[in-house]
Amino acid sequence: MSRLSDIPVRVEGLPQSAPQSGTSSTTPAGLGGGLAAILSELATLLGRLAASEETAMIDLRSLPMSPADRILLQRALGDGEVHATLKAQGLSTARETGVAGVWWIEHRDAHDELCAELLEVARFPQILASAPDEIQDAAVALQARNSAAA
Amino acid sequence: MSTTPQVTVGEMLRRNGVSRRAFIKFCTASASAMALPAWMGAAMAEQLRHAPRPSVVYLSFQECTGCFESFTRSFAPTIENLMFDVISLDYDDTLMAASGSAAEAALATAMKDNYGKYVLIVDGSIPTGAGGACCTAGGRSADMTLRAAAEGAAVILAVGTCASFGGIPFANPNPTNAWPVSGIVAGKPIINVSGCPPIPEVITGTLLQYVTTGKLPDLDENLRPKAYFGNTIHDRCYRRPFYDAGKFAKSFDDEGARSGWCLYELGCKGPTTYNACATMKWNDGTSFPIESGHGCLGCSEPDFWDKGSFYAAQSSADWNSAGETSPREVLELAGGTAAAGAVLGVGAAGMGRLRQHHSEKE
Repeated sequence: MSRLSDIPVRVEGLPQSAPQSGTSSTTPAGLGGGLAAILSELATLLGRLAASEETAMIDLRSLPMSPADRILLQRALGDGEVHATLKAQGLSTARETGVAGVWWIEHRDAHDELCAELLEVARFPQILASAPDEIQDAAVALQARNSAAA
Repeated sequence: MSTTPQVTVGEMLRRNGVSRRAFIKFCTASASAMALPAWMGAAMAEQLRHAPRPSVVYLSFQECTGCFESFTRSFAPTIENLMFDVISLDYDDTLMAASGSAAEAALATAMKDNYGKYVLIVDGSIPTGAGGACCTAGGRSADMTLRAAAEGAAVILAVGTCASFGGIPFANPNPTNAWPVSGIVAGKPIINVSGCPPIPEVITGTLLQYVTTGKLPDLDENLRPKAYFGNTIHDRCYRRPFYDAGKFAKSFDDEGARSGWCLYELGCKGPTTYNACATMKWNDGTSFPIESGHGCLGCSEPDFWDKGSFYAAQSSADWNSAGETSPREVLELAGGTAAAGAVLGVGAAGMGRLRQHHSEKE
């Protein structure tokens, strides 16, 4: 056992049902009732995204959630169709949840430790897009390469 | 006065082959650790890329090195990220390969070349008893070294409860006549990052926040960043609903303890302790003492070692945080400035009286 994640953790008190796809029709009751608040906030943020393309993020690590709350939130949001991975100083994943427009983002460092966990409300996660200055640099570099080859 | 070329963070990133996405990710993780809004990660990345890479001097005095151990175990940002990408750690006697006169020369060079601009990190209290003989390096007392280093610092981060409030060395009877940084240095901006030790990401996050913005964060009355010390452990504790429901563990192994009920009656100091343990947690967000079944000791508060048993339930009458008194306020109550007190060598007996006064006030 060399990593924190190798320590077996058992979460007690969870409902025994299997994880569901899509949005749960009922609000799970977490220890602090925080889940209902997150789901309510997500509904508001999705409304803004639909109306005005306004994106938003919720930092999951800043919330006082127990391990049970986290699992219940994952169950409530479910899985979507897209699962993107990003290799940049450690692996990151951007997973579309069963709620369209809500993405579950995980950033891991070079030692594969989780260093950020977010819910991003957007059409697609911001970090996946290529940056305008990098596109411009790439265009110049490619033109130079083509000229050299010609 | 600086003679060292200022390298921007962006240049350093390019030299180290760090991609834009990797840096956004680093900043997102750091923003998360700093309790800043999540969207600020990308904004920080852009701002930092154009910022100069600041010099940092780290001094350790009367301490157990627990704070430094904590500092080096920050997951986001990691100390490697900070050192290679964002800051220039020019002196740290625990980490640096140099020793003896070479190390002393490195300190002198860093202070001279970056005069007025460097970030000074201090851990440990400063013993002034026995002419400063309790903590010396290179023939100079901690007091002398701190005063000299503080003179050219842009800001001082007092890391740990010892540097912030005196900590365990400052506890009654304070045999070395120890003082916190704020008891020695006057006229310089000081940020207290308290905790025994502080949460690793609170140390690196506070440093990164200063480097990013070039400004002091909002501080509480004890000079601690409000972003981390703005709420009590109790306010953000996942066991809080059990407190509100009147469900308390009566012993560490009873049914209530196993069911996650509130540890208040077992002496938890969460209601009067301002820190981020309940949300940021420890060991890469694994858990914090209360989640592991033990009450909060209140280690990030002034005089936590002198407040009685860790296992005695607090009276709700003690919950008024306005009743807390910082070491500097203790001195002011005694009618003198902190610096003057240190110079005049307030003895252990005198400190005992001050502390008694403090206790009476509480």
